[in-house]
Amino acid sequence: MRIKSKRNFPHSGDGLVRDELSDEALVSWVARGDDAALEILYDRYAPTVLGISLRINADQGMAEDVLQETFWRVWRHAAVYRPEFGSFASWLFRITHNLVVDFHRRHNVRPQSLRYDDHDAPDIDQAPDPNADVAEQAQSFFKHRQIRSALATLPEEQRQVIEMAYFYGMTRQEIAEATGEALGTIHTRARLGLQKLRRELEKQDFEG
Amino acid sequence: MDNLIEELLPFYALGALTDDERGLVEAYFGEHPEIRAQVEEMEFAASALPYSATPVEPSDHLKKRLMERIANDRRARSSVSADVSRPRPIKSQNKFRVTPQFSISALSLIITAVAIAFVFVLNEHVTRLRGEVDALQSALLAQAGTVEQLNRALGEVNARLPQTAPPSTLTTFAINGTAVQSNAHGQLIADPNDHSAVLIVSGLAPLPSGKVYQIWLLKENTPESAGLLDVDALGQGVSILMPDAAIGSFDALGISIEPEESSLQPTGDIVMLGEFN
Repeated sequence: MRIKSKRNFPHSGDGLVRDELSDEALVSWVARGDDAALEILYDRYAPTVLGISLRINADQGMAEDVLQETFWRVWRHAAVYRPEFGSFASWLFRITHNLVVDFHRRHNVRPQSLRYDDHDAPDIDQAPDPNADVAEQAQSFFKHRQIRSALATLPEEQRQVIEMAYFYGMTRQEIAEATGEALGTIHTRARLGLQKLRRELEKQDFEG
Repeated sequence: MDNLIEELLPFYALGALTDDERGLVEAYFGEHPEIRAQVEEMEFAASALPYSATPVEPSDHLKKRLMERIANDRRARSSVSADVSRPRPIKSQNKFRVTPQFSISALSLIITAVAIAFVFVLNEHVTRLRGEVDALQSALLAQAGTVEQLNRALGEVNARLPQTAPPSTLTTFAINGTAVQSNAHGQLIADPNDHSAVLIVSGLAPLPSGKVYQIWLLKENTPESAGLLDVDALGQGVSILMPDAAIGSFDALGISIEPEESSLQPTGDIVMLGEFN
């Protein structure tokens, strides 16, 4: 017997239900072994997770492996997620981040220069999935625009330090070595960059 | 604030510290909880960074592959539970071919023989179950005796303690089996302000070679290894945990199945979990 039928889990094909269920409610169903709940979370977040992974890994296959492993870990470890200490999205992205940073540290990959002006890259690399939820796509796209816009206001050197640290897991010392700057300068850039980024996001009413 | 800690905070929020540096910062949080608000501001900015990546719609086959893997995993778990709780079905083999020549008396004889055999099998089964119940009751009595001895010893130790000693703040936290091993249960006994605790578990399934049980203390969804747990043939295990931070600073304890050399983060099934709230 499928667990979800016993527990009256809402049918995943019902668009209204998909919109109504919070991430936290869904992950609690995943912890009880419900794969339909995981599928909804996958539909909501897989494009962002793959986007993060692809941005760092030029290798498409590696980025797809990170996507698979991220949701596999959600499936296996949903029971340890605790909503009072952060949103599901933060937890999910931390899993992705850890996987990617592990990859970079193991393979000693170094970042490429990235810019955030509007000429740099299209906003959506691929055509939207016609089956994906429109509201979820819109929300994700809106957040994407907000953070890109906020990052574009940072001085180049501050943004570079934040990117090297977050996306590539580079230590303070590694960043200092890679940029040829003093360690103290790297500390200052990271702190000022995060402070400015927070102010810019608050101006835009960004909701994490 | 300590200069080094101040320098480390942005990189803590960005998840770019080494394990040692992260440990240093978290230990500092324990002593200076007021710093937490400052870090949360930085974490707010860091939490937005994943959205800066351009969303890319994954191909359908990736989702299909993941969902197939998950379905297989769920089936495997279900079959393990079913094997444990259900007697193995006996394959029936109909070697008799019923023909019109088959006499009624022969049929009656066969039915009687089958019934007798069935009763015999049932009796055997009941006898075996009774034996298991007796063994369990004996084990329970032995455990009760041990508990009584321990209580007496504890009473003697308490009696020897100076009268000025502060009252004990020992707390017991229940640690329960997850869906993976629902029969497992245990307790963590600790003073929340202390840096040590005793973990007692039972009902854990034996592991195949190359696998171990690993204990994790969880703080804000971040696991910290608290060592390996040796389990005897009866599924019982005891471990003394000595984390760097006070037990009360953690939110939960979990036990997972890991490769023999242990892991830096949980990678296998979480088999037991207990919250400290």
